[in-house]
Amino acid sequence: MAAEISDRVREIAEATDLPESEVFERALERGLETLWEDLVLKRYLGGKIDREEAIEHVGRTKVERAEREQQIVEEDVDWGLNA
Amino acid sequence: MTLAAVSDAGPLIHLAEIDSLERLSLFDVLLIPQTVYAEIEAGDVPSGLDNVSYELVDVDDEQKGTVDLDAGESAAIAVAKERDVVLLTDDLAARESASNDGVDVHGSIGIIALAHARGFLDADEAATLMRSLQRETSLFVTDAVIERGIELLDNTQRERSE
Repeated sequence: MAAEISDRVREIAEATDLPESEVFERALERGLETLWEDLVLKRYLGGKIDREEAIEHVGRTKVERAEREQQIVEEDVDWGLNA
Repeated sequence: MTLAAVSDAGPLIHLAEIDSLERLSLFDVLLIPQTVYAEIEAGDVPSGLDNVSYELVDVDDEQKGTVDLDAGESAAIAVAKERDVVLLTDDLAARESASNDGVDVHGSIGIIALAHARGFLDADEAATLMRSLQRETSLFVTDAVIERGIELLDNTQRERSE
């Protein structure tokens, strides 16, 4: 995995003409953004923050998508436990 | 009660990716449209499918309808409607289309929950597989939603044991 990451960083750096340090920085930013969105959605779905606050942090589209996903997962779990 | 279902490619691929294709044996009848089989055959047919009993079915083009879905999803929906069986899909658009047509539709998460309910997986194993579905496959759900699903599974289990 470590070797694969190094190879990819090198390939991206060459393809984008950026230093590898910049590639790492951008990867960290994107990764953190994803983890932050997961945290916000988890807090929202867990009732720890309200819908408006969640929308403020991650946008309406992602909140609505999470709501739809949650509805589906709940339907599936309910069906599986009762089929 | 007989549990019969037709699957599109999604659950076959996703369950194979987490080494859980055998969970499909929970269904008394499992149908796979030829179109769907051809789709998974174009990649590599998951080896675990050999251990699952299923019936390949043909679908007339006329039955597939005109919805904006891929051929496998359309075929699976057509079979579900024609034979009045559960549709197994992990595709949001296919799910919505099938639901609008009155089809009972569920996905890989539901199959894991079913295996847990039937005693083939304990709560920890079911939770691990749900997380694997989210992390190791292209399933649509985000991390937060999977955790809510696991919580729901745990809560239901707790309520039943009280």
